[in-house]
Amino acid sequence: MERDTRLKHIVLIKWKNNLTILISFDIDGTMEIGDPAGAVTLEMVKTARAKGIITGSCSDRPMSAQRAIWEEYGVEYDFVCYKHLLSDLKTQFEVEEYYHVGDRDDLDRKYAIQAGFGFFWPDEAAASPLLL
Amino acid sequence: MATGYAPSSMYRSREGMGIWEHKGKVAAVGVGHSPTERRWDERPETSVGAWSIMALRNAIADAGVEPDQIDGIVIVPETTTGAFWPDDKPLPQDVINAFVQTDDPLDGVAKLSVEWLLKNMPELTNINYSVYAPVCMSNALNVAAQAVGDGLAHTVLVLKAWHNLEGRYYQGGQNAQDAIGGTSAIRSLWGAPACYGTALQFAEYCRKYGKDHDMMTPFIINSRRNGLMFPEGYWAQHRPEELTPEDYQLARWIAKPANLFDNDIPIMCAASYLFTTAERAKDMKQKPVYVLNHVDSDAVPRGLTPTLDEVEAECALTGRKIYEGAGITAADLSFENMYDGFTQFHQFHLEGLGYRGIGFGDALDFYQTDISIEGPNPVSPSGGNIGSGRSRFWMHTDSIQQLQGRAGGRQITGVNAEIGVSGGPMPLGGNYTVWSATPD
Repeated sequence: MERDTRLKHIVLIKWKNNLTILISFDIDGTMEIGDPAGAVTLEMVKTARAKGIITGSCSDRPMSAQRAIWEEYGVEYDFVCYKHLLSDLKTQFEVEEYYHVGDRDDLDRKYAIQAGFGFFWPDEAAASPLLL
Repeated sequence: MATGYAPSSMYRSREGMGIWEHKGKVAAVGVGHSPTERRWDERPETSVGAWSIMALRNAIADAGVEPDQIDGIVIVPETTTGAFWPDDKPLPQDVINAFVQTDDPLDGVAKLSVEWLLKNMPELTNINYSVYAPVCMSNALNVAAQAVGDGLAHTVLVLKAWHNLEGRYYQGGQNAQDAIGGTSAIRSLWGAPACYGTALQFAEYCRKYGKDHDMMTPFIINSRRNGLMFPEGYWAQHRPEELTPEDYQLARWIAKPANLFDNDIPIMCAASYLFTTAERAKDMKQKPVYVLNHVDSDAVPRGLTPTLDEVEAECALTGRKIYEGAGITAADLSFENMYDGFTQFHQFHLEGLGYRGIGFGDALDFYQTDISIEGPNPVSPSGGNIGSGRSRFWMHTDSIQQLQGRAGGRQITGVNAEIGVSGGPMPLGGNYTVWSATPD
């Protein structure tokens, strides 16, 4: 699939505020609702959003399933995408800082570094002032 | 009673063997499943041993027989392809102590033996025939059919179970060692994922026939849809997520052109079937599903990875053997349930069968037509491993249930369920069973 088409499907809600931070969350092994469960809670995501941070998920789960998860738990989100498409995601949000939170060195951390994102392990994110 | 692996004489591996001598004289009657889980939670009651017992008992109950009527058992002793108990991990002593144990502490935890099962199923008092089949339910079904046909036993339980441990699949076992012996030393040298050989074959397939990966999309969506109507399956039980074209086409490559959703998800589960003679089956609780033939593919590739030419030649040979031994033609198939875990096996099997008249290079175009359970050309009504997780047995359960008329939401409606075929896994190296609603 060509890149323009990919972008069309990745981004659900375009950034339209003067927000300066974006955090992408992996799900499995990262979020409390993942399989396995991780250290990041839904309340932490809500807290981040209350601070004006752009949030969404970048997981291997189907993007349609990612949307369904956020909606099932009543947590607003700005995007869903696959973790290997973090660099595409970055082009859609003009902010000052980009972070990805994940539990896999060979996937989450690798793709975050390649895309120029900062990276948190789940327990680091759970202790970060951005989410508290 | 010492149990060994089935001898090669039990398999039908050659072309030209004629119609199977026991055609229509062996039947599957009972089906039993355990629940599914993504990984083991290390409780005794969810161990692979406990779930195997559950599946066996469910099959017995489903068939409506008394346990003492059963005189044979065929099992696959291996319960994983990539989740091995780590050498440095303490044994789960509480689990081991919860069962009657054999000399092997991992029996019932990360492997199975007939001895362990019989020690823990005291109701099976009349077993006088037992045999192991390697790796897959597909293989065990061939052995069970032949055993019943040959009169080695008259009422046989067949079992395949899977465990899955915490951590990542394929990261333990010999892959975690400093040295690997045999041809694996060459195959594994670069850390290629399990699907890479199939991906290579599929890449050549696309080049040869002018196809592309996106053309797999309808097959993927259809398989997951069917899987979500399989109440015994993982996705239906735990994550009822449909897949969209975007979900599939944008997923990351595991070994290009095979992406994440071309691979199946490792799970824990167990399934059992009760096989018996056609005569005895008449008095059992469920409608008999007759075995018309069973086939083995024992081809050895010339290199480490089979070429597309080798794959196509072997699938065509398998198709001919399937029809020859059953005394049928492709036109007699109501449906097919060939293996799919990796998805890119499926078109090879389908074309080898000549299902609905297709030839090599036609399957991806065929996928663009109506391949649903409601249509005239149902493809993988089970949903396979893609629809329900890594078991390699959904295709068999579905075939039996389709022909018994109890496939529920998956019941094919575009054609009458009269004859089906299931089997796998590999194009070179698989076992297949032809099933029928009637003995002839």
